[in-house]
Amino acid sequence: MPAPGAIAVREAQGTGLAGARPARGARGRGEGFAPAVPALALLLCCFALPVLALLLRSLLDPRPGLENYAALLATGTYYRVLANTFLVAGTVTAVTVLLGLPLAWFLAVAPAFWARLVFGIVVLSMWTNLLARTYAWMVLLQSTGVINRALIALGLVSAPLPLIDNLTGVTIGMVYIMLPFMVLSLRMPLAALDRETFRAAALCGASRWQAFWRVFLPLLMPGLASGALMIFVMALGYYITPSLLGGTSNMMLAELIAQLVQSLLQWGVAGAAAFVLLAITLSLYAVQVRLFGVRGAAGG
Amino acid sequence: MRRAIGLAAVLAFTLASGAALAQTMVFTSWGGTTQDAQKKDWAVPFTRRTGIRVVQDGPTNYGKFKAMVQAGNVSWDVVDVEYDFAVRAAKDGLLAPLDLPAQDAARIVPGFLTRYAVGSFYYSFVIGYDAGHWRGRAPRTLADLFDTRRFPGKRAFYKWSAPGLLEAALLADGVPPAKLYPLDLNRAFRKLDTIKKDIVWWGSGAQSQQLLASGEAPIGLFWNGRVQALIQSGQKVAIDWTQNLTTGDVLVIPRGAPHLAAARRFIAYATSAKAQAAFATDTGYAPINQGSIALMAKTALPELPDSHAAGHVPLDMQYWADHRDQIASRWYAWQTK
Repeated sequence: MPAPGAIAVREAQGTGLAGARPARGARGRGEGFAPAVPALALLLCCFALPVLALLLRSLLDPRPGLENYAALLATGTYYRVLANTFLVAGTVTAVTVLLGLPLAWFLAVAPAFWARLVFGIVVLSMWTNLLARTYAWMVLLQSTGVINRALIALGLVSAPLPLIDNLTGVTIGMVYIMLPFMVLSLRMPLAALDRETFRAAALCGASRWQAFWRVFLPLLMPGLASGALMIFVMALGYYITPSLLGGTSNMMLAELIAQLVQSLLQWGVAGAAAFVLLAITLSLYAVQVRLFGVRGAAGG
Repeated sequence: MRRAIGLAAVLAFTLASGAALAQTMVFTSWGGTTQDAQKKDWAVPFTRRTGIRVVQDGPTNYGKFKAMVQAGNVSWDVVDVEYDFAVRAAKDGLLAPLDLPAQDAARIVPGFLTRYAVGSFYYSFVIGYDAGHWRGRAPRTLADLFDTRRFPGKRAFYKWSAPGLLEAALLADGVPPAKLYPLDLNRAFRKLDTIKKDIVWWGSGAQSQQLLASGEAPIGLFWNGRVQALIQSGQKVAIDWTQNLTTGDVLVIPRGAPHLAAARRFIAYATSAKAQAAFATDTGYAPINQGSIALMAKTALPELPDSHAAGHVPLDMQYWADHRDQIASRWYAWQTK
């Protein structure tokens, strides 16, 4: 039983994509494969084979068996870090969606000049070095930082707010980085949106609230879902931002894996840690494919 | 005829120096102000003397180190590593022997030379603090580092499982230096529990400097050279040497390094009295050559760990090499809790 939204999504894709890829239906199945060979070969060499090697190492290094998985799951550390990784990625994704949707809507409806200016600012932030941006947040957020000093000087707070070395700091820093990705994935579906639909909804007696939930959101769902998935998966692997803006109780898996690889040289355990994360991520992807279809999930 | 000979000489000279310059080796260290000094005081004069070009690489990454050696595809010739890593790497067969000439070896500070590793520099974990933070009062011992009542404020500590903080916690709790090892981990973590909410962690030397200089953490345990650099840049911070925990970096050659002979010559030069003296003057990290102190300006000496020997507590690298994994697992379990 598909969700009511899913049907609208498929319809929206049918209309939205028909113009973009007119020849698709006419082509045979095998056609279109050849031009993709270089990219597929790259993926095979740079992703599939290393992942396989990682899996093998987690099973074989230092001895064949499941001891790396046992070592990983024996202490509470890995569970906590894994749970925290998903908590951070989930929080960041949710906040990014909440902020990104209105921003993307503004870009779609604002006068051309303002839309271009704001879009320029959004994209420009992507071109600035990640480490520099994260250090800048550190300087802004810490208890002796610009924000807290300003708040105290204005008399709004008496003691510095805890904005860094916790989930708040990580979320602020990462949402800022992820926002452009959300806006970019909503751009196409918003541009393709037929404004007449809302008039039709209103004519049929829908309130603005109903029109938003039952017409607007379902039509945007493919872009929203693919953007959210992309952000969620990127956030799962984040390293620098949580390391600099989060406390150790917000440690994410990438940090732990980096320690295992670089400092402790326990590659087997690191492989196991990475592989469990990959397996969980892929199963989440599978859930999304079930809900939205391959194209919706993959960003069609 | 004379002109022809002149030309030939110029040509021969060019070819010869070209051949010499073509010889290169790769030196890998941790970047930042430390590697800048290593380049200036070791690599540049070494190249001038031998004609061997030294390519700087970094930062040191043990994962990469191990992967290179295991794959038999090594691109590093000399690497600056932490001492406990060198002990483990030697045991795991990742290193090539140094073969330091006997007359050079005799000049190395005792304890900083093994078959596979020789000191690069040695340093202390010291209390660095914001000099004006507690109205004239200054921390004097490691116990003060854990006393949040008399010295309120955040504490900055190195984030990763490594020698230093556990020892500091035990010393602050009253364990005498001679009885430090084997570390009583339960006691160390209990002591750390008492200030856990006041800890901010630094993951790199630059971050530690940022935390101290901005006042975010008015006190912490730091590498002495990093606090020294802040003092030299005019920041109002100070060092307490009363109890300082000494350890060192060492230079090693990965097994299968492509330019073994050049690597050995470089190490012999870098550990010479003159090169060590120049580096120590620039960084505040201590020389591992016994002849260096005599070559240094008197004014540079008080900044060196050498001048605070009464407070030295040596960190036991052999112990850490043997227990690193076990400690790390406790460490991360405690940190993430």
